[in-house]
Amino acid sequence: MSLRSRRPGLLVSLLAAVAAAVWILPYAWMVVTSLKPLDEIAQDPTAPFPKHPQLDAYREVFDLVPVGRYLLVSLAVAVAIGVLQLALALPAGYALAKLHFVGKKTAFALVVACLLVPAQVTFVSVFLMFSKLSLTNTFSALVLPFAASALGTYLVRQALLSVPDEIIEAARLDGASELTIIYRILGPLLRPTLVSVFLVSFVFHYSDYFWPLVMTTDDTVRTLPLGIALLKEPGSGVRWHVVMAGNVLLSLPVLALFAIAQKHLIRGVAGRS
Amino acid sequence: MLGPSLAAWALFVFVPLGLAAYESLFAWDMLTDPVYVGGANYAAIAESGELGRILGRTLGFSVLVVSGSMALGLGLALLLDRPGRFFAFVRGAIFSAYVVSWVAVALLWVLLLDPDRGVAAALLRAFGLPRVGFLTDPHAALVTLAAVTIWKITGYAMVVFLAGLRSVPQSLHEAASLDGAGPIARFRWVTWPLLKPTAAFVATTSLIVSFQAFDVVRIMTGGGPARATTLFVYAIYEQVFMNLSVGRASALAVVYFLVLCVLAAAQLRAWRSQTVGRRA
Amino acid sequence: MSLSRRSFALGASLAAVGGVAGCKRAVRDDKGRIRLRLWFSLGGRNREVLLEIVKRFHATQDEIHVEPVYQGDYFESLAKLRTAIAAKAAPALSHVVAEVVPYLARASTLEPLDGYPGMKEIPFVAALAQSGGFRGGGERPLYGIPLNRSTPLMYCNGDIFAKEGLRPPTTWKDLVDTAKTLTRPGTRWGHEVPISWWFWVALVGQAGGVVFDEAGRATLGDEAGVRALRLWQDLVHRDKAMRPPPGRDYDAWNVVNQDFLGGRAAFIWTSTAYIRYLEDNAKFPVVAAPLPRDVRASVPTGGTFFVVVKQAPDEEKVAAARFLRFFCEAEQAAYLSTRTGYLPITTPAAAKMRADGFFAKHPNDDVAQAQLAHVDPWPWEPLLFRIERDIVDPRLEEAVLLDRDASSVLAEARALAARPG
Repeated sequence: MSLRSRRPGLLVSLLAAVAAAVWILPYAWMVVTSLKPLDEIAQDPTAPFPKHPQLDAYREVFDLVPVGRYLLVSLAVAVAIGVLQLALALPAGYALAKLHFVGKKTAFALVVACLLVPAQVTFVSVFLMFSKLSLTNTFSALVLPFAASALGTYLVRQALLSVPDEIIEAARLDGASELTIIYRILGPLLRPTLVSVFLVSFVFHYSDYFWPLVMTTDDTVRTLPLGIALLKEPGSGVRWHVVMAGNVLLSLPVLALFAIAQKHLIRGVAGRS
Repeated sequence: MLGPSLAAWALFVFVPLGLAAYESLFAWDMLTDPVYVGGANYAAIAESGELGRILGRTLGFSVLVVSGSMALGLGLALLLDRPGRFFAFVRGAIFSAYVVSWVAVALLWVLLLDPDRGVAAALLRAFGLPRVGFLTDPHAALVTLAAVTIWKITGYAMVVFLAGLRSVPQSLHEAASLDGAGPIARFRWVTWPLLKPTAAFVATTSLIVSFQAFDVVRIMTGGGPARATTLFVYAIYEQVFMNLSVGRASALAVVYFLVLCVLAAAQLRAWRSQTVGRRA
Repeated sequence: MSLSRRSFALGASLAAVGGVAGCKRAVRDDKGRIRLRLWFSLGGRNREVLLEIVKRFHATQDEIHVEPVYQGDYFESLAKLRTAIAAKAAPALSHVVAEVVPYLARASTLEPLDGYPGMKEIPFVAALAQSGGFRGGGERPLYGIPLNRSTPLMYCNGDIFAKEGLRPPTTWKDLVDTAKTLTRPGTRWGHEVPISWWFWVALVGQAGGVVFDEAGRATLGDEAGVRALRLWQDLVHRDKAMRPPPGRDYDAWNVVNQDFLGGRAAFIWTSTAYIRYLEDNAKFPVVAAPLPRDVRASVPTGGTFFVVVKQAPDEEKVAAARFLRFFCEAEQAAYLSTRTGYLPITTPAAAKMRADGFFAKHPNDDVAQAQLAHVDPWPWEPLLFRIERDIVDPRLEEAVLLDRDASSVLAEARALAARPG
């Protein structure tokens, strides 16, 4: 558009720089604080740079929290959820887009309804169910409730609507089973959509605080966000350099992923590929 | 084909909803035996006025977050929809906040907003402005949480608006320019009408996000000061895990679900009239 | 369509996920030691001290291995413990705030410890143990073993008091006057104290009231409760001599400490637990004093008790009892107390500290010891904790911050407290 094609004026560049500052400086502050020794924070909490930068805070995070284990749990949960969501959303989206069966409209309405019921409505009951089965503090409690994704199903269905039926019919004539059609033929065709769905789900569940908080009572499957939030200890003053070091460790993996896969993520988030 | 998904939804969405409705009729602390109390849980949350206050706070919070993030997101999209590495970098920076964990964002802003030692307080002092207890003044805390939430999700609104902007045909702009329309007139008459469905989409999704706000509350204020930031989800959480009152929590969850339904219906209606209007 | 293959694949993947879950936790580790799970909620210095005691315990024996897990602050950790008990996933050993012990005992979730060898013979300081910390606590089965126990204490900024030629206030009236004298608008508050149940209960006791009467009614101090609340409201809103510290629970406690250390509050009330922390971090002499009296002197006790969860495996419970006995030995009890400011929990530990000259060298700790004579025990009431957290605490904050009418706020709280549910 024409706004775009013109050379940016000074005002525009200035505003953009301000916006960048508003979003970048807090991160910078997180890093700076994590490098300060505690007494520097106490004496001059708003000094822009550490006088004697040091990595003690990071060492302390590793002492206080099994960072590696929690990180592994977080990654495993996020990957498992992402994989399950794709595995289930493909056939479900396929049925909704390409098959004809009684109750299809109702089924689609159900999917949309599920979009509107967040985990925040059901967590009390789901917790009670899991605790009855002694499944709190397990991987299952963190993963299974998210196995079926209404959003993923919806997006797969939308993407499949634009895939011509002829492809499917040709495959059927060749004797391919429905499963082969779904996973071997349509799966690769929908790759961009699937990648986006996976990434959005991954980023969300890697960072999720609510569900692991509610479903775990100890640290068998504690995720990294929970571990980091616990660094803000009670009692003798918050040790901000340690908390911020934890924050950096928590944020780095997603920020790295973001740097690599920004395009796919944005497409997934904008929701309408 | 739909079987496994439907089974999962039945198990984790529909059965729990029913269970919540059932549990809401009992007084139960998970440790001793449940006692049937009928509608007493609903009466208890309604009569103390607490339900109304929670609802009011949550709606107020949502209005702030949705309008704030949409206005800011649209503004930034218009500002940053330009070629060049610099603008791409700024876009990325803003969107990155959406990707980072709520935990990290909440902890970071607790530090930045510390009334005595935080950067925000230092800025206020530098400009000779009075001290603000961002998280500690009952009148300011909810607005502060809304502002942090806006900071976190504006990147999302911006990205969606950018996608919407790029689907506006260039030729329309050129035609309008030839007719002598300035940038504001072009936005008003060309861009905005085509962007309306995008705006409706952003509004819906950010409303859902704001209605589910929990992490910021739990980490930044714990629902205080003086319950000023006890939003819906936090109230449910507090009832079941802090007070071990499964019945009250379930009653709140049922009400929460009904509120979501009303909101969804309202939005659907608004959306329909929107698309109909566009076709006409 | 090959439904069977599909459902097989799904079943297999679910089983794979479930498999990680399904395996039951072993009571013994690969070296054959009993695994004793310990949930704790101590941060900073207190955490180091507890973990050091665990280390010492490991050095003395090789049959039990303690696995400490940090669970957030007291209230967070208690929420986890209660839900874990409900989900049958609780550890054998954890510690909880004193006021919740009767509730957990009534819900029959706690293991009575009298039967375990040596437990009955531990020479506790009565006021800090179950026997003297609760009305009638000695006649009940032994459920709680004191871990870190404290009382409220007044801390004065020695420099400010010396400069103004003042002494720590000894009565309420004195407290108000001193707070007013020492307030410098914009730079310093005279007095500061967390607006929380614990300190309010101290005031109620001083005003001659009790939160529960002998018949088990939650009176919330009646008139004394109102007077206690009004004292704060007047200090904050009329005299403008006290800052109500912002933040919930321990956030507010943190603020009080920071304001005191930063010279922004001349005298504060907080826990004896912070004696060492405040002394170590203040750039002025920290002078502790007993809380002032109104019609009488009174302090509640605070901190936590170790409890053993009934549903844990027997072997683990035996191990827990053994750890607790070790923990209560004079050596360990004195170590915890000297490093933190929590009160020594056994008489031999207190005697050892006295003999070692500790109290002579640390007069503030001695003040805290002397104040033990004025401890008022908690009622043994299952509802106590719920009333504290659910009903009173939020209303105190609201009443003080927003200056609500004290008598109607407490009347409302009493009405809610009387209702079941």
